[in-house]
Amino acid sequence: MLRIEFQIELAGISSHLFDIDEPVTSIEIDNALPVSGDKVFLFLSVQFDSEITADRLSEELSNIDVVDVTQAELNRHIYYLGVMAQLSDASVLSLLTETKAIPHRIVGKNAQLEVMASVRDWNHLKEVADAIETEHGSLELLGTTQTENIGFPLGGNKIKHSMTGKLSEEQLEVLETAYQMGYFKVPQEVTAEEIASELDISRSTLSARLRRVEHNFCALLFGPQE
Amino acid sequence: MTTIIIIKSVDNHSSVREILGSVVDAGERVHFLRLPTVQCLGSLIQEVNPMINYGVDYTIHPLPEGYDVSTLVEFATEFDANRICIGISDRTLTGKARIDDLTQSILLHDDISGDFVVGEHAIILEELEYGD
Repeated sequence: MLRIEFQIELAGISSHLFDIDEPVTSIEIDNALPVSGDKVFLFLSVQFDSEITADRLSEELSNIDVVDVTQAELNRHIYYLGVMAQLSDASVLSLLTETKAIPHRIVGKNAQLEVMASVRDWNHLKEVADAIETEHGSLELLGTTQTENIGFPLGGNKIKHSMTGKLSEEQLEVLETAYQMGYFKVPQEVTAEEIASELDISRSTLSARLRRVEHNFCALLFGPQE
Repeated sequence: MTTIIIIKSVDNHSSVREILGSVVDAGERVHFLRLPTVQCLGSLIQEVNPMINYGVDYTIHPLPEGYDVSTLVEFATEFDANRICIGISDRTLTGKARIDDLTQSILLHDDISGDFVVGEHAIILEELEYGD
């Protein structure tokens, strides 16, 4: 089985959402449920450049059949949307499933739709690429890797979904930097002082942010403290 | 068995070593196909030493300026290549082997198909079959 990444020009629901007046950073299709006829119930994570109120967002989305709008708890730039859309508004997703490819991620950003999917083999890759090029004009393959397992299908990555928006940007930056520098490895490849220095923050600020990250992870796993 | 190794850079040592060490068997024929941007394979061949270290016969061919994927597929057809190998020079943020324009053109070409294997340092297209 091959895991592939490719990009095409923005299309469908992502294209509509990028057209609104408020600057959108990214749009990810988290899940999709079929509705009878030619409709599909889409669940989206939409990240904006800056904070936007739910009322303002509803105004902006007046042309879209929005079923639910929920603002992320911590990162107020992120909204989770449930929208009723035409199947053609999720055409990449439809094409992937029609050709029996497994969609993992569909993200609109930087004027492109970036897609990660799994295909059986080379011939299947060609079949999928052909279907997408026929519908969308062109496709740019970005990367590939070989895999034995099917991986998380679209919407199946519950941890990622649960965490999106629950950590602040500072907390995410600390967590990612610490992870990338090997702070969580045994033995540790870097000291807390070195991470603090890399991020240009004090050792105590680093500790506080990392503890908050751990607290948020625990809250997700075990629920709120009694 | 005949193998084509596409050389995009003289720094492709690790790719060539992986292909010769774990894909190609001793005694097989290897065609190094260098892109026009690669001036000379001397240093690469000297370092890898395909005949001494891997026991393979090899020849070097340049792809002409202005080549396209059809040129490459014609070459593969002419030599009835069983494999085409392409070095992985970069990876995406998620660790996947980055696919450049040439690799995409080969992968999506109508007249060539087979098995697609992604190694540590090389993409290997094998069991090749050619269309019209």
